[in-house]
Amino acid sequence: MAFVRAGLILAAALAAGWWFAATPATATEDEPENLPEGPGREETFYSCTACHGMAIVTQQGMSRARWDDTIDYMMARHGMPELDPADRKLVVEYLSVHFPSRQRGATNPFLKR
Amino acid sequence: MSSKRERGLIELYNDDPERADALVFGRRADKGADGVGRRGFLKGAGLATMGAAVGASIPFAQNMPSGLFPAAMAQTPAAGAAAGPKVLKMDGKADLILLQEKPLNAETPDHLLDDAVTPVEKFFIRNNGLVPEMPADINTWKLTVDGEVDKPLSLTLGELLNRFTLKTYRMQVECGGNGRSFFAPETRGNQWGNGAIGCAEWTGVPLRDVLQAAGLKSSAVYTGHYGADPHLSGDPNRPTISRGVPIAKAMEEHTLIAVRMNGKPIPVMHGAPLRVVCPGWPGSTSQKWLTRIWIRDKEHDGPGMGGASYRVTKVPMVPGGKTPDSNMKVLESMPVRALLTNIANGTELPAGTREIAVRGHAWAGEKTVRAVHVSVDYGVSWNKMTVQNPHNKYAWQRWQGKVAVPSEGYYEIWTRATDSDGKMQPHVAGNWNPQGYGGNPFQRVAVLVKA
Repeated sequence: MAFVRAGLILAAALAAGWWFAATPATATEDEPENLPEGPGREETFYSCTACHGMAIVTQQGMSRARWDDTIDYMMARHGMPELDPADRKLVVEYLSVHFPSRQRGATNPFLKR
Repeated sequence: MSSKRERGLIELYNDDPERADALVFGRRADKGADGVGRRGFLKGAGLATMGAAVGASIPFAQNMPSGLFPAAMAQTPAAGAAAGPKVLKMDGKADLILLQEKPLNAETPDHLLDDAVTPVEKFFIRNNGLVPEMPADINTWKLTVDGEVDKPLSLTLGELLNRFTLKTYRMQVECGGNGRSFFAPETRGNQWGNGAIGCAEWTGVPLRDVLQAAGLKSSAVYTGHYGADPHLSGDPNRPTISRGVPIAKAMEEHTLIAVRMNGKPIPVMHGAPLRVVCPGWPGSTSQKWLTRIWIRDKEHDGPGMGGASYRVTKVPMVPGGKTPDSNMKVLESMPVRALLTNIANGTELPAGTREIAVRGHAWAGEKTVRAVHVSVDYGVSWNKMTVQNPHNKYAWQRWQGKVAVPSEGYYEIWTRATDSDGKMQPHVAGNWNPQGYGGNPFQRVAVLVKA
């Protein structure tokens, strides 16, 4: 039967490891020093990178209220351990100072040349 | 113009575009009768200055809305970030735009989406967790179907393939957050431009055949999908993400448990050896590395189903504000979107060019695309393109045509689709929601016709 044969061919191809490597060739080192200097940098770095890279943080800019809300979201949705209140204050302060809400736009391709 | 000056200009526009207009170009918002700014005045010295800034005359400058930096296209994710976009360097992948490495997320530049069937190397990458290890013998991969069914199933990959008939369709898979970077203020999550989309040829077993074999109980309401991707925290008991769809969508004939992508076994990065393809809906319903389908007697409540995750507002909220969970509903069909794919943002066209051949793709989630229009004068006039029928339901549609440019200089090509219900792409990302779903403003591509 045609679909049985299709299955065998698929299984053979899978067994041969047809797929490509699952990791990027170059990995970027995440270091606290790559973040803007300021109070709370270390606390922020280690709170975030316990699970994920910093790029998801640094590609965003939000108000203090929304960064604070994001900590709640990370605990509720992604199992982030609760920060002690002093650390939380430091982290939210650091994020809202260095990654504030921004206006968008203004990347003209012809101005980069 | 020195690089220092350029940076200053961009920062100025980032901070306050209308003030930047006034300061740099002497342009002021023209208040309409309702007191709302319409078109910007731009003439005399201001026009010459802006022309000098982009290195060309701007033929339709009088049409340019105030506060709109020429080609302020936020085409790239993280347009406001200090550093430019990073490029993914990975075997078997084109130069995608790297959004983050842990978890790995990368988007396809718009102009790499020109193929009718998106090749694997140009297909965007969306991960919520880590990429799972593949077993030494892939045939031992197991899929469980349980919950509100008469006969729970536990099938190996080989059993699944031997028991059910395979179907092949071209279908788009689009991240629910595609277009997120166009929201203002910024919304939470990966800052996708337009490129979290691909239309591949998927081969698999219709999910409905498997559900029929298991026998759905009358109490079956919703699916819950589980995959093998480990959670970033390393906690083996925490699913990375588990979303689902109403039974009607699960039973739609195009919803597949896919085993092949473009005729070959699905690559590990794209969900080998089994993944759901739930076309037209947020990509998170197309679970990769599928291990279990749990049939629920209520809307699924796995990670990624509640709060602001993959949910939009029932009643519009104030952008940047707060709204209760009770005002959120699940995002189902993705909205209409068109992309120009044969001309990259920032392309220089040869001197003497007066007509530009344009083409691309358009799609509309559960709907089809009725029309695509292109403007080169900031939306003052729109040119109707021809739009082909989809290859099959849920395959994106090819559109093409020509647009005329009256002179040399700087132009923006605006591309706007209309879906089969008559809904058009808006100018801005509206219906703001905390995690930025459903943002589908029309695409803008800057070109320069050389003198």
